[in-house]
Amino acid sequence: MVHRMLRVDHAGEYGANRIYAGQMAVLGRSKTGPFIQEMWDQEKKHLEKFNEILAENRVRPTALLPFWNIAGFVLGASSALLGKEGAMACTVAVEESITEHYNSQIRTLMEKDPERYTELLQVIKEFRDDEMEHHDTGLAHDAENVPGYWLLKNAIQLGCKAAIYVSQRI
Amino acid sequence: MAALLRGLRAGRALRGLSSVVAAPTATNPQCGSLRRGFRCAGLRLQDESKSDKPPSSTSSSTTYHEHYQARSAEQDTAASASDPAVDQSTDPNTSYQDQSGEQDEEYETEEQLQARILTAALEFVPLHGWSMEAIAAGAESLGLSSASTGMFEKGSGDLVLHFIAQCNAQLMEILAEQHNQVQLGQAEPKKTADFIRDAVETRLRMYIPYIETWPQAMSLLLLPHNIPDSLKHLSTLMDDIWYYAGDRSTDMNWYTKRAALTGIYNTTELVMIQDSSPDYQDTWAFLDNRIQDVVNMATTAKQVQSTGEAVVQGLMGAAVTLKNLTGLNQRR
Repeated sequence: MVHRMLRVDHAGEYGANRIYAGQMAVLGRSKTGPFIQEMWDQEKKHLEKFNEILAENRVRPTALLPFWNIAGFVLGASSALLGKEGAMACTVAVEESITEHYNSQIRTLMEKDPERYTELLQVIKEFRDDEMEHHDTGLAHDAENVPGYWLLKNAIQLGCKAAIYVSQRI
Repeated sequence: MAALLRGLRAGRALRGLSSVVAAPTATNPQCGSLRRGFRCAGLRLQDESKSDKPPSSTSSSTTYHEHYQARSAEQDTAASASDPAVDQSTDPNTSYQDQSGEQDEEYETEEQLQARILTAALEFVPLHGWSMEAIAAGAESLGLSSASTGMFEKGSGDLVLHFIAQCNAQLMEILAEQHNQVQLGQAEPKKTADFIRDAVETRLRMYIPYIETWPQAMSLLLLPHNIPDSLKHLSTLMDDIWYYAGDRSTDMNWYTKRAALTGIYNTTELVMIQDSSPDYQDTWAFLDNRIQDVVNMATTAKQVQSTGEAVVQGLMGAAVTLKNLTGLNQRR
């Protein structure tokens, strides 16, 4: 069970990395560039940490990584093509999904055996706080002003849920 | 067979703490062997009840060896060597009491019993092949009825899978030991290709005593009801070998490495079963060549990638030069 959790978390951070990479490719030289870069750097640190954890625990990474590579980049780039608000809306949607996902993992681990998983719980809590910060940054930068915000946000969140489900198993 | 076990378990539970002493004593190990054998075959299924007993760690590895006729000599020495201070009265289900006063450990799970029978059956494989006859002969050599072969639903596939699991466990011990030696600085770490080569050779050499009948075993593993288990054993084996070889990748390399090693291992196994050279030299030469192929492929892949990157850089440079020449780069 822990292996599945670690696998999907690793896939999530990998996907988030690619999303920011896509957004930077389009908006890198605009005024929002530095903000996106900062969030991207934090995601890179998250991914590094999960790489370590996976190697330590001998967890198999998801076989869909090449797919998330392309899909993440495409999502980031296409949301950025809608303008800065589009990119921020994508960030808000993804970070909200990830926060919810980490919260449910924290609940599961706390129910199971908090003492055994203290270190993992701490890592997940810290990352969840970072992701919430990204979410708030996105909102602060006019995410809600994109036309079709509700539709875009829900579509992206549905995609995230599907990605989480699949990455746990494959 | 399962119903018989349950019936016996119910009967035993009713007897409770009765003083039926069945432990073989040092002076009379042969007494009542048939009854004990029958009782051994009728062990209760173990689940959480075992965790209630305070574990006797010194004897845990020999738990199911105690009380059995086949191992009475071993047990006598083990019993006298182990700590007699373990309190027995905490377990109200104990029917048998060991002479040393040790916690009763004869509650063997069905898996443990099956494992013992299959291990004993391996001796008869050269004679009977990988078949129910071998399992029956193994059961009989332990003093059990040959009807206990009914426990094995997958038939002779169970025997092959058990053997494979045993070989994998042995290999893991060897690799873990080598790993420790390297950690302690007592041995030099091997290069990856050499490590893989040695690990595969060690593992395949475990088949040598059974090499005559191994084709039969391989075909048994291909039967549909055996495939999930044999694939599971194979994938665990590949993962373990790569882990000890130092692989800590968390991207697609995880998959490509294991797939490559599976290819190497399976083809080498096939070469081995029809190899008649002294000490299987041809097989090890084949193994060397396959590993070299994979190493070459990896090197080539790296070269292709760096060439590709260099080409892209070159094209970008050419594009910028063109833009400069045509004046498109200037801000007006």
